[in-house]
Amino acid sequence: MSALRPAGEFDTSYARDMATIRRPWQWGLLLASIAALYMLPSLASQSLVSLVNRIGISIIAVQGLNLLTGYTGQISLGQAAFMTAGGYISALLVNNAGWSFFAALPVAALGAGIVGLVFGLPSLRVKGFYLVMATLAAQFIIPWFTRNAFPEVLNRAQGLNVQVPVLFGVEFSSPQRYLYITVTVLILSTIAAHNVSRSRLGRALVAIRDNDLAAEVLGVNLFKYKLQAFFLAAVYAGAAGALAAHNIRHLNSETFNLTDSVFYMGMLVVGGLGSSLGPFFGASIVQLLIEGATLFGPFFTRLFPSTAAGAVQALRPLFFGITLMFFLIFEPRGLAHRWYLFKAAWRLRPFSH
Amino acid sequence: MRKYMSYLLSVTVLISLVLAACAPQATPTPEPTKVPTATPVPTEAPTATPEPTKGPPDLTGETITIYHFGDLSGPYAAITAPLIHGAEDAVKAINEAGGLYGATLDIKFADTAGSIDEAVAAYDRFTGEDDNPLVMITYGSGEVEALAQRFATDKIVNISAGLSARGFYIDSGYTFGLGPIYPDQIGAVMAFLKEDWATYKPAGAEDDIKLAHLSWPTAFGQGSLTEESRAYLADLGIEVVAEETYDLSPTADTTTAILNAQAAGANVIWTNTLAFGVSVVLNDLHALGLRDQFVVASDNWGMDLATYAFLAEPAFGVGLISPFPYLWWTDTDNPGVQYAQQLFVANERPAAEHNVGYLLLIAGVDMAMKAMEHAIGTVGYENLTGEAVHDALVAMSPFEALDGVVRADYSAGSRSPHMTQIRMIQGGPDAFVVLQDWTETPDLRPSE
Amino acid sequence: MNWQLVPQFVITGLLAGGPIALTALGLVLIFKSSYIFNFAQGQLLLMGALITWWLSVERGFPLGVAVLLAVVLSALLGLAIERLALRPMTGQPLLSIILMTLALSQVLQGLALLLFGGAQRNFPQMFSASNPYRITTPFVFNGQPIVVILKQNLTWSFVVAVLGVLVIGAFFRFTKTGLAMRGTSEDHELAQSIGLRIHRIFGLSWALAGVVATVGGILLATSSGLDLSLSVVVLAAFPAVLLGGLESIPGTIVGGLLIGLSQGLVAASRATIVRNAAEIMPYIVLLIVLLFRPEGLFGRKRIERI
Repeated sequence: MSALRPAGEFDTSYARDMATIRRPWQWGLLLASIAALYMLPSLASQSLVSLVNRIGISIIAVQGLNLLTGYTGQISLGQAAFMTAGGYISALLVNNAGWSFFAALPVAALGAGIVGLVFGLPSLRVKGFYLVMATLAAQFIIPWFTRNAFPEVLNRAQGLNVQVPVLFGVEFSSPQRYLYITVTVLILSTIAAHNVSRSRLGRALVAIRDNDLAAEVLGVNLFKYKLQAFFLAAVYAGAAGALAAHNIRHLNSETFNLTDSVFYMGMLVVGGLGSSLGPFFGASIVQLLIEGATLFGPFFTRLFPSTAAGAVQALRPLFFGITLMFFLIFEPRGLAHRWYLFKAAWRLRPFSH
Repeated sequence: MRKYMSYLLSVTVLISLVLAACAPQATPTPEPTKVPTATPVPTEAPTATPEPTKGPPDLTGETITIYHFGDLSGPYAAITAPLIHGAEDAVKAINEAGGLYGATLDIKFADTAGSIDEAVAAYDRFTGEDDNPLVMITYGSGEVEALAQRFATDKIVNISAGLSARGFYIDSGYTFGLGPIYPDQIGAVMAFLKEDWATYKPAGAEDDIKLAHLSWPTAFGQGSLTEESRAYLADLGIEVVAEETYDLSPTADTTTAILNAQAAGANVIWTNTLAFGVSVVLNDLHALGLRDQFVVASDNWGMDLATYAFLAEPAFGVGLISPFPYLWWTDTDNPGVQYAQQLFVANERPAAEHNVGYLLLIAGVDMAMKAMEHAIGTVGYENLTGEAVHDALVAMSPFEALDGVVRADYSAGSRSPHMTQIRMIQGGPDAFVVLQDWTETPDLRPSE
Repeated sequence: MNWQLVPQFVITGLLAGGPIALTALGLVLIFKSSYIFNFAQGQLLLMGALITWWLSVERGFPLGVAVLLAVVLSALLGLAIERLALRPMTGQPLLSIILMTLALSQVLQGLALLLFGGAQRNFPQMFSASNPYRITTPFVFNGQPIVVILKQNLTWSFVVAVLGVLVIGAFFRFTKTGLAMRGTSEDHELAQSIGLRIHRIFGLSWALAGVVATVGGILLATSSGLDLSLSVVVLAAFPAVLLGGLESIPGTIVGGLLIGLSQGLVAASRATIVRNAAEIMPYIVLLIVLLFRPEGLFGRKRIERI
C-alpha cells in the first residue's frame, strides 16, 4: 500500500521505495511511542497497565487472524482454541518440565501452529462457509481434549495454575512487570506480520483471497499457502495464549472460548482487514468498549434497577454486537481504511482527490 | 438509505434500553456499592469476641472496606444472589449498630460471570484501588483455586464459600473456609453411611457400599474425590465404581450417567454440585423410575432451597443426605438464626433467597468482624493489615460465628472447619432432619 | 461397550435428535432462501423460550396462550432482524454476512441477559416428569428382557419436532407461498423476474425460522429448565445441517437423528473417554462430512463457475 505523496517526490533506490518508515520524523515517532509504552508501568495506574496488557495480547491474536482472514480470506472461528493450545503447552512446559517461560513461549507458539495446521487440512477440500464450520469444530474439539484427555497432566475441567515467569531471578508477577514482556512480544510480532504481508508469501496469500482460481492458474499452490496461513495464524494465537495464560496464571478449557473467537473476528473487522494497523485499532477499540461496559454497568444499574443482575456482563456483548453491526453496515473495511482516507485527505489538501 | 439506517439503528438501541427499563423483575437487584441507611433493624449484634488486650478504640469517621466477588450472570447466578445479599445486609446491620468500633463498614462487589479471567481482573481492580485490603469474600471453587496464591502473596484474608481442598491448602495460606472442604464432607457422610448401612441401604442392595460419583466437571464438581479422600474411602471398604460427569446446566441430561452407574453396580450416588446439579439427578432418577435403587448424597450446598427451585416435584427431594456444617432457619431457638431472620425480614428479601447462602454469609461477615476486632485489639487500628486479621483468625480458634451457626477452628494450619451435622430431607425445606449431630469430620487435607 | 445399554441409548439418542432437527430446520429455512447461515439461531431459541417463560410465569398467561403469543412475537423478531440487520448485507461478501449474524448473536445474548437476568429458572412442565414410558425389547440380558425407559419429555419433544419438520416440509411442497420460497432459493434474479417479491420471502423465512426456534426452545426448556446456555447447546444443530445438506428439509430430520444417534451410541461405551466424547460427536461427524461429502447427504453439489 504505497502512500500518497506530493508531486515531485521520488525514491532513488528500491530499498527506499519499499521502506515502511521513510522519514526521520517517522522514526522519531516510532521510537518515542515504543519508549512511552515501556515507561507506562512506572507512570500509569494498575488498572490501566492491566488493560494495556490485555489489549496487547489481543492485538497479537488478531494479527494472526489478520494473516489468515485478512490476507488469505479464510474465515476462522477457531483462534481462541489455538490460544488454548498454546497456553496449555506453555503452562505444561513451565510447570512440569521446568522450562523458563521465555524458552517455552516460542515452543508453545510452534506447537499451537502445528495444531492449527491439522485443523487447516479441511481447506484442501472445502472453502468459504464450510471452512468456517471446520474451524468451529476446532473451537469445540480442542477444549474438549483439554477437559478429557490425559487427566493427570491436563487436570480435566479444573485447569492448571500457571507459574509466574522468572528471568534472572526477577518474577513477572505484577501487571506492570508483565507489560514489558507483552510489549516486547508485540513489537516482534508486528514486525513479523508486517514483513510477511510484504513478502512473496504475503502476495501469494492476497492472490488466494482475491481470486483463488486465477492464483492457481498463475502457479500459486493453493493448498500449501493456505496451510501456511493457518500455521502462522495459529502460531500467533499460541503466543498470545501463552502470554495470557502466564498473565492470569490460571488456565482451563473455558479461558478462551467461542465468544472470544467471535470477539477477535469482530476486532479484525472493526480495525480493518488486510492491513497491519487493523489489529491495533480493532483490538484497542473493542477492549476499550469492554472496559467501558464494565464501568458503565453500575451507572446503568442505577438508571434501570430492574435489570440489575448481570447488567455489567450483559452490556459487553451488547456493546460489541452493536458496534460490529454498525461497522459492517457503514464501514466494512474498518478503521484502518478510514485512517488511510484521512491520511490521503490530509496529504492532498486542499484538493479532494 | 444509509442515513435512514443509522437512524433506525439508533432507534433500535433506544428501544432496547427502554425495554430494559420496563423489563420484568426477573432477579432481585444486588446493591452494588455504598450501603444505604434503611428500615429499622435489630440493634442487637451477635455475641462479642473474648476481651482483647486493649480497650476498644473509637474509630468514628473511618471506613473499612471489604470486597466480595462472584458469579451473577453466568452458570452460578441463581445461588450467588442470596450470598451477596446476606453479606450486604449483614454489613448494613453492623453499620446501624454502630459499625466496627464506630468505623463504617463498606462492601464492594464485582460480577465475575463465572470466568476466572474476570475474577482476576476484579482482584486486580480492587487491589489497585485499595492499598490495604483486609478481607475478600469469594464464592466459587474455581476462583478460590486460581486466586489462592495471590491472596497468600499479597497477604489478604480470603473468606471463601468455595470449599475446594486445592484452594485452601495447595499454594495457599490466607484462604479460610466457611465449611469443611469437600473431601472431608464425602468422608464424613460415607463413614456415617458405612456405620449404619443397614438402616439406609436401598431395598435389595448388597452389604457393601458401592459409590458412584456423578458430578459437574468443574473445580467444584470434582472437588470431593482427591487422593486423600479416595484413600479414606478405600480404607472404609467403599469402592468407587463409577465416575460420571454431566453438563453444568439445568438442561443437562443425566440419564447416561445414571444408567452407567447402575450398570456398574452402584448403590450410593454422591453429587458434588448444588441447585440444578442436584435436581437434575433427582429428577432423572424419578423419571427413570430408579430412585429407590440408590442412596443420594450431596455436598453441603445441595440441601438447600435452590435445589427445590429446580425439582420437578418438591417430593423428589426426600431422602437426600448431606453434611450440614451450620444451622438452618428451622433452628429458631438459636439467637444467631433469629438475628439473621430479622435481617431477612427487615430487608424484604424474596422467599427464594431464604436459603443457606443468606444465613451463612451473615455468619461469614460476623467472622470477619470478630477477626478485625481481635486484630485491632492486638495490634491497634494503625497496624491493621490483612496479616493481622489472618493471625487473629488463627488466634481466636476455636470459635463460633453468629452464636453457633458456624463452628470454626483455624488452628494448627487447618483453614477449614471440621465440625458438621449430617441431615436428611424428610419433607419440604422445613424438614431438614438431623441424622447425626455435630461431629468431627475426618481430616483429609492434602499434604502441601 | 456396555451392550445391554445399547438399545436404551440408541433410542434415547434418536429421540434427542428431534429438537436438534427442529433447530436445524430453522437454519435450513434461512439458508434456503437467502444463503445466509444464521449463527444467531441459538439465541433465537433462547429468546423464544425466555419470552414464553416471561409470558406464562411472570405475566400469568395460561401456557397455551403464552406459547402462541411467543410464537407471534418471535416471528416479529425474525422479521425485524431480517429487515434491520440482514437487508443492508445483500451483496456483501461472505465474511460480512457471517459476522453480521455473529454480531446479532452477541446482541441477542446480551439482551437476554439484560432483560431476564442470568439466573436459571424452572420452565412450566408440559409433560409429566415421573411416569416414564417403558418399552420391553426382545433382547435379553442376564436373563432379564431389556427394558428401554423413555422420559415423557423426551418422547413428546421428539414427536413435536418431527411433526414440525413435516408440517414445514408440507408447507413448502403444497402451498403457493412455499412454492415461491423454493423458487427464490433456486435463483434470486429469476425469481424477481417472474414477479416474486424476494424481500418479502426473506422476511417470511426469517419469521418462520423464529417460530421454529421458539418451538424448539420451549421443547428444550421443558426438559429440565431454562438457562442462558441454551443458545450454546444448540450449536450441535450446525453439524446436523451440514450432514443433511444445507438446503434440504428432509435432510434436517436425517441429520438431526443421525447426530443424536451418534451421541447415543458413544454413550454406551465402557471407556470413560469415549463416553465423554458424546459432546463433541457432532463435530467429529462434521469433520468427517467435510472430508468426504461436504454437500451433505441430501444436498446438491455446487459447481463453481469461473
